[in-house]
Amino acid sequence: MLDKKVKVKDIRDLGERNYLLTVNTPEQARLVRPGQFIMLKCVEKVDENPILRRPFTIFNIHRNKRSGKPAGLELLVKDVGVGTRKLTQVRPGQMLDCLGPQGRGFQVSAEMRNRTELACLVAGGVGIAPLYLLAQSLLVQNVKLILFYGGARVADLVLREYFERLGIEIVYTTEDGSFGERGVVTQPVVRFLTANNRRNIRVYACGPWGMMKAVHKLSVEANVQCEVSLEARMGCSLGACLGCVVQTRDHLGEEHYLRVCQDGPVMSSRLIDWDTVPL
Amino acid sequence: MKETSTEKETYKAPRTAVEIAGVRFKNPVLTASGTFGYGLEFANLMDLNSIGGIVVKGLSMTPIKGNSPPRIYETASGMLNAIGWQNIGATEFVAKKLPALRNYNTNIIVNIVGFELDDYLEVTRFLNDCPGISALELNISCPNVKKGGFHFNKNPKDTFTITAETKKASRRLPLWVKLSPNVTDIREFATACQDAGADAISVINTFVGMAIDVEKRRPRLRFLTGGLSGPAIKPMALRMVWEACRTVKIPVIGVGGIASAEDALEFLIAGARAVQIGTANFYQPDVSQRVALGLQEYCRSHKIDDINEIIGSLRTYE
Repeated sequence: MLDKKVKVKDIRDLGERNYLLTVNTPEQARLVRPGQFIMLKCVEKVDENPILRRPFTIFNIHRNKRSGKPAGLELLVKDVGVGTRKLTQVRPGQMLDCLGPQGRGFQVSAEMRNRTELACLVAGGVGIAPLYLLAQSLLVQNVKLILFYGGARVADLVLREYFERLGIEIVYTTEDGSFGERGVVTQPVVRFLTANNRRNIRVYACGPWGMMKAVHKLSVEANVQCEVSLEARMGCSLGACLGCVVQTRDHLGEEHYLRVCQDGPVMSSRLIDWDTVPL
Repeated sequence: MKETSTEKETYKAPRTAVEIAGVRFKNPVLTASGTFGYGLEFANLMDLNSIGGIVVKGLSMTPIKGNSPPRIYETASGMLNAIGWQNIGATEFVAKKLPALRNYNTNIIVNIVGFELDDYLEVTRFLNDCPGISALELNISCPNVKKGGFHFNKNPKDTFTITAETKKASRRLPLWVKLSPNVTDIREFATACQDAGADAISVINTFVGMAIDVEKRRPRLRFLTGGLSGPAIKPMALRMVWEACRTVKIPVIGVGGIASAEDALEFLIAGARAVQIGTANFYQPDVSQRVALGLQEYCRSHKIDDINEIIGSLRTYE
């Protein structure tokens, strides 16, 4: 993990308050594993408000066009509050404090191709952010994958072209029916898990709490492994402040608060106490 | 060549060491409890040897689960927290964290928490026998627990009792008491600590605060209220440190919103023997090292040989 001043290379408006922010930071880009995140200061000066940095999952490694070497990070930023709003107003050339990459990412290993026939990726809105690097590394491991990507409207289904370029099977859903299947993303996931109930499947999900909870339940019913990528307000991201915890239950049924920053952000869905609804 | 060697002989780095209850600190910069974990979390991001000490996360004898999330919320130039003393317990700390911490050349101060007087005494007796600890900091000022904690900081008599009892239990280790700002007059509590035999006081812990989500009409913290920290509280902390320094003879350690060498200097000039850096560790992980360096730089540029000359050097208007 490194703490660097990184230069904003580009910020692209994706609509619906979504932005793709690219920062130059080759040293940090080289260290990234799928599902990890960085803590980014939303303004240039250290004593300027908001004072705390904000966590962002790494969407993609930005690569040098000629050499193909890691040059920076691409981050999906949604304007949801004071910090993210300021961040979406940065301009190329500005310098921001960036700490990471850090956290426990998705469990992807070389043995997976023997054990996993199919990987099922489920995203709700900006929950798409950790799944692109995951999809890439699953493809490298020759694991076949399918993506279920849902949103309220078509405008919420950002960065679709990245996944379409991978040539994988994708099922879109929108609640207003403006694109793909009308309804919520868990509907086609149910059908998929039912139709493939004899196969060795792993599920990866990221999105709103309710969506992940539903996907977790479906995974338990289908008796397949499920990893989720969690979101939380963070103070330090180093495991020191204990501000970002989620309630979990171990195999003995004992309750613990685990830190999303260091024990996560990716956790087995079976660890999490899904009945604790965050306010 | 000759000139260079003469320069070297005459050049003297400013002395930055301070002493608190017989313990030497290489400089007056410490990290505040609850904002620096068990120290090791920051080992890759700064040189832990560069600061005077680390006050580790509040410890109880057995682990505490802590409050339900959400536990933190950022406010203007500060943050609210209601962690609720989540910690791994003193036994695990001594077994798993302290051995690694001993490799660093810095003082380890353990902040101790409890719901009842006996909890404090038990953990004090246990830690008293552990090598590698320089002092204990009695936490009676946490606003985020429903029992114990702040209870002992509501009237000076209770503060006196718990301080006196804990001091008896901490036979070997100096005892600091960390005081709450949520009182009418901090001087009464500072005096109670001194009278009860405390070796030093840390002034202050967080201010009780609150924030509301107007869309959901819900408190931002599950605990409803939380402790406010960060630059927002610095002027109030400084005022209380000043008051405490004028009231008691035991060393006062200044805490509250310190984020730069200039901030630290304000507290030292007001009379603090040392300072603790808290919330700033979250957004600038190496801030304590920077502050330590900045203090040295200030002494050098102001031709001050010993940092103790600065402490309590405020020039008031007559």
